[in-house]
Amino acid sequence: MQEIILDVENVSKSFPGVKALDHVSFDLRKGEVHALVGENGAGKSTLMKILSGVHQPDEGVIRFKGREVHFHDSTQARDAGIGIIYQELNLIPHLSVAANIFIGREPLTRLFTLNEKKMNEDAVAILGRLNIRIDPTITLNRLPISKQQMVEIAKSLSFDSEVLIMDEPTSALTESEIDELFTVIHTLRDRGVGIIYISHRLEELKHIVDRISIFRDGRSVSTDTYSAITMDTIVNRMVGRTLEQKFPARHNVPTEEKILEVRGITRKGVLHDISFDLYRGEILGFAGLMGAGRSELARAIFGADPIDAGTVAMNGKNLTSLSPSESIRAGIAYLSENRKQEGLAVRMKVAENVSMANVAGVSSRMGVISRRRELQACQRYVDELAIRTPSLTQVVNNLSGGNQQKVVVAKWLFCNSKILIFDEPTRGIDVGTKFAIYELIERLAREGVGVIMISSELPEILGMTDRVLVLHEGSLEATLVTKNTTQEEILNFAAGLGGKAERPLNGQSRPVEESTQP
Amino acid sequence: MAVDRFLTFGAVVVLFAVFSITAKNFFTMRNVLSLLLQTSTTTLMGIGVTFTIITAGIDLSIGSVVAFTGTVAVIAAIAGVPIWISWIIGLVVGAFCGFLNGLMITGLKLPPFIATLGMTFVVRGVALTITNANAWPAPDAFGALGNNTLFRTGPKFPGIPYPVIVMAIVAVIFHFILRKMRVGRYTYAVGSNEEAARLSGIKVGRIKIINYIICSTLAGLVGVILASRMVTSQPNSASGYELNAIASAVIGGTSLMGGVGTVGGTVIGSFIIGIMTVGLTMQGTNYFMQQIVIGVVVILAVAFDQRRNK
Repeated sequence: MQEIILDVENVSKSFPGVKALDHVSFDLRKGEVHALVGENGAGKSTLMKILSGVHQPDEGVIRFKGREVHFHDSTQARDAGIGIIYQELNLIPHLSVAANIFIGREPLTRLFTLNEKKMNEDAVAILGRLNIRIDPTITLNRLPISKQQMVEIAKSLSFDSEVLIMDEPTSALTESEIDELFTVIHTLRDRGVGIIYISHRLEELKHIVDRISIFRDGRSVSTDTYSAITMDTIVNRMVGRTLEQKFPARHNVPTEEKILEVRGITRKGVLHDISFDLYRGEILGFAGLMGAGRSELARAIFGADPIDAGTVAMNGKNLTSLSPSESIRAGIAYLSENRKQEGLAVRMKVAENVSMANVAGVSSRMGVISRRRELQACQRYVDELAIRTPSLTQVVNNLSGGNQQKVVVAKWLFCNSKILIFDEPTRGIDVGTKFAIYELIERLAREGVGVIMISSELPEILGMTDRVLVLHEGSLEATLVTKNTTQEEILNFAAGLGGKAERPLNGQSRPVEESTQP
Repeated sequence: MAVDRFLTFGAVVVLFAVFSITAKNFFTMRNVLSLLLQTSTTTLMGIGVTFTIITAGIDLSIGSVVAFTGTVAVIAAIAGVPIWISWIIGLVVGAFCGFLNGLMITGLKLPPFIATLGMTFVVRGVALTITNANAWPAPDAFGALGNNTLFRTGPKFPGIPYPVIVMAIVAVIFHFILRKMRVGRYTYAVGSNEEAARLSGIKVGRIKIINYIICSTLAGLVGVILASRMVTSQPNSASGYELNAIASAVIGGTSLMGGVGTVGGTVIGSFIIGIMTVGLTMQGTNYFMQQIVIGVVVILAVAFDQRRNK
């Protein structure tokens, strides 16, 4: 067994009003990938921030390489050899790859100018250690997210990190990019780096994880060898109760009534001649790999992006201008995958967000807003959707991810939407809240709404939809009836292999090639 | 929020008290009225620019628009247009400048800083060209708006100057628009998260254009008031006034990042500047020193705001 490199003993941490960590113990060995899982608020982030020096523990001991350490800030932790990769990358988009890796400690020439040559050479060497080939002179924002993440990993490695903490590293990656990331993680592990891996995507852990620790309510519930624990046990321990089923019972019955007819939607280079129908009471899934055009299709239907050809008809009537305001008036709602960037005005209040797409519904004909009516409407949805907020005038930024998602849903319900397009509705949302979102989607369909659900998680597609559209590189590959299909079939279509060919289960460890695709 | 407003309002009261004690004749009816009159124009411009700043924009063309609209109104009056119509022409010309700003920002997708900076030069140039850079005298009746007062009872109470009354009415109306009306709500939404606003069906471009029109129309109002006060066209005047307006908004808690700001805050902000200017002058502090003090206050106010919002 490998030696323990990082040892956390009885660490506690309180913030005003909450005990974020309650006598937590945890250890990490050299050359292991140790998964840390738990619902939002379980204490994972707090522990991570303590290990990386952002927070200081109230009590308890942290030993790194056998010596007790007290980090006062993240720079100290980093210099000692504990690196952290946040979900949101901390890189500078307009600088080159090499400049990003060496930012703050750029090598200089004798004339005190930047030594670009050395910087680029060193960058190649560091990337090479991870078997990554990226041109170090390329501007960072010309790389896809996955490559940017590799750059972040390389940067961290350039500090000779012996411990690397990764927070939800796959949340923005496509399937094949995830394979690339796992290859890099394997390389790191083989070099003896200890990796703490935090993820909501339990499915992916099996590819890389050696041990798993489960957190709940600020306590460490258990630590096991990954091979000795089942997925059900993990989920049960995370939520602290038995989750009988991951998805709600389905009672919605698709009707014969066509509510939406999409014909020949084309956006040059993005979407190619896509046609489909949506029926009242149906839940229609959009499946496909990232970059297949699922969100783009949804945005095109909603009028958020311009299209080159095609028509969208709602209840037999063509939408003419294809703009968000027209779509909303017709009863289409789009719940973006980027809640914070596109769905919510996070510095505005809950009530103001709920009424945002239908302020007319709470104001007089002269355009004067009735605060009373606005609060009443908001209260109705807070009750109906069980939105947990201290008050209706709370700023949305202060709510949890799941509750923010509910606020977005409330916003669209308040518009009397007939079609709701959910784009990755459960991304970044913990297991317990996921179920509530699924129930909500099912209920909406049951009440006669047409639902489109975009998801990267195939179990979710299989568990929640009536039919699935599978997209591949902007084209509609297949329309499948969910109960007659399988995960494998969907994956094959999504990979552009048609219905027959086999897809290799795990990506081969090939070197990552440079790419300039955005 | 209520506490914050209380704090800034408290600052006004404290300043007022300090100057009442340290500056002779500060706390007299005549002086208070003159202070209100002086501050009224900054407040009007500040209210306008607050709207554009809330949408995460800015309007640098205010000073030039003030000079231009005043000039146009005077020319109209000289040409024989009825006086009150010449004032309205000033407002309409202001609105048109704002419309152009809005079009450049939403249509050509120019950053507001650049669009309105360009407008600054263009409008100033037009004002100078049509007047040949001269100050033209207006008919006497043109001076009513800037010089007459209401409720005059004699030398003891010279009456409330019209511009002060205009300021009060404008502040109330635009407070109402911003806080109670749809267009105001959309203004906040656009500044807080433009993409979310667009995807909520808000016509972002239209809202921005409306905001720039509001800003320039109020600048036009100030242009007319100032030209009326001087009873002449002043194509060279009002240079840099936009900076006072922006300072008022910022001291009043408006965030240059967008999404945050109130009419009430801006009114208080412009009074903080106004009271200091008048108070320091009456104390005998020279003009250069005043500039330093006001600059420091702007910086401290925003620094305080940043700390508080952390």
